[in-house]
Amino acid sequence: MSNMEILLDCIMDLGQQMLICGGEVHWIEESLCTILRAYGASQTDVFIITSSMVVTVHTKDGEAYTQTRRISDATSDFERLHALNDCSRWICAEHPSPEEIRAKITSITTKTKQYPLWLNFLCYAVIAAAFTLFFGGSFTDACISFVVGLLMRSAIWLCDRTISNKIFTKFFAAFTATLLSLLSLHLGFVAGVDKVMIGNIMTLIPGIGLTNALRDLFVGDSIAGLLRTIEACIAALCIAGGFFAAVFITGGAGL
Amino acid sequence: MNKLEWIQLCTAFVGSLGFGVLFNVRGRRLWAAAIGGFFAWGLCLLLGKWISVEPLNYFIVSLSISFYAQVMARILKTPATPISITALIPLIPGSSLYYTMASAFQGLSGDFVVKAVATLELAAALALGIIVVSALSRWRVKWRALG
Repeated sequence: MSNMEILLDCIMDLGQQMLICGGEVHWIEESLCTILRAYGASQTDVFIITSSMVVTVHTKDGEAYTQTRRISDATSDFERLHALNDCSRWICAEHPSPEEIRAKITSITTKTKQYPLWLNFLCYAVIAAAFTLFFGGSFTDACISFVVGLLMRSAIWLCDRTISNKIFTKFFAAFTATLLSLLSLHLGFVAGVDKVMIGNIMTLIPGIGLTNALRDLFVGDSIAGLLRTIEACIAALCIAGGFFAAVFITGGAGL
Repeated sequence: MNKLEWIQLCTAFVGSLGFGVLFNVRGRRLWAAAIGGFFAWGLCLLLGKWISVEPLNYFIVSLSISFYAQVMARILKTPATPISITALIPLIPGSSLYYTMASAFQGLSGDFVVKAVATLELAAALALGIIVVSALSRWRVKWRALG
């Protein structure tokens, strides 16, 4: 493999990691182009959507190399994204060798700090309680919401460990949250389920997905935008499905 | 300011902080995002006193917070998106989404359409604010490239 080909391979890894951590399509395309040009590419053709990357780079000697990557799963890991952004600045400024770039990317993907799992559970509960208060719930509502949030996160954890299907997880989480809210209503802990439900829905709804989708569409990344829109719509349908299923089996009283 | 507004300001901060942790935002960036959440809702309440059109209100807040995120991103040398997304969490129309679903279940189709449209309007206003600022920041990059 020529130097440019090895370099391209490293840069593809960088782009792939950026996409997995929740980077913007347009921003990643720009970063990759800038880096490749800094290494003397005469032309770069970068095409990225949320699930795939295609990059062709032309060298000054008239050779062209193309590589593709399939991206199967994306999350929001902004600490890693921050480290990758630093990495791309470093590459542009110092032109390190492909081996150095590879070592850096490996260290970022394996060594980036993560919050512990218990804190993640606690956050679901705290967010649910906070937004219950935010939308006008009482203190009792917030306490119930806290417990429901904790149990809903446990349900998500259980799904991830067993079925590991994103769509079903959303459905099951919404189902659990609705069922528990209705249960607390029937036991007389709360006067209405709406505030408790809203608090818990906040952690589930694809608000960010939809915002990103609309942004991609308006910026001109139509395919990436459409894919994100469809994902967000399916997620919303799953949540509504879980909600309806739970309301239906309890007889539909108390909404 | 009444009691609910104070509670909302505090919980907006806590909500953004919580989402920041879920998105693995760390250190000074996490605080920048959480304080952004506080300001986002504060501005929304303030504008609500003069502007009764909620989507317009959301658009202005989204515009300001995205701008705030761009400034913080340059200070903290980090991408702007994580900060703006985390700070705008309190504006996500979770409550109108819930009432949309509830009216769909109760079979109130007229009510459902009105609420669904309202929810979409808020989401679109939010996205539009982010888009305008990210487009503007890109122009700046281009000018720099020319000059």
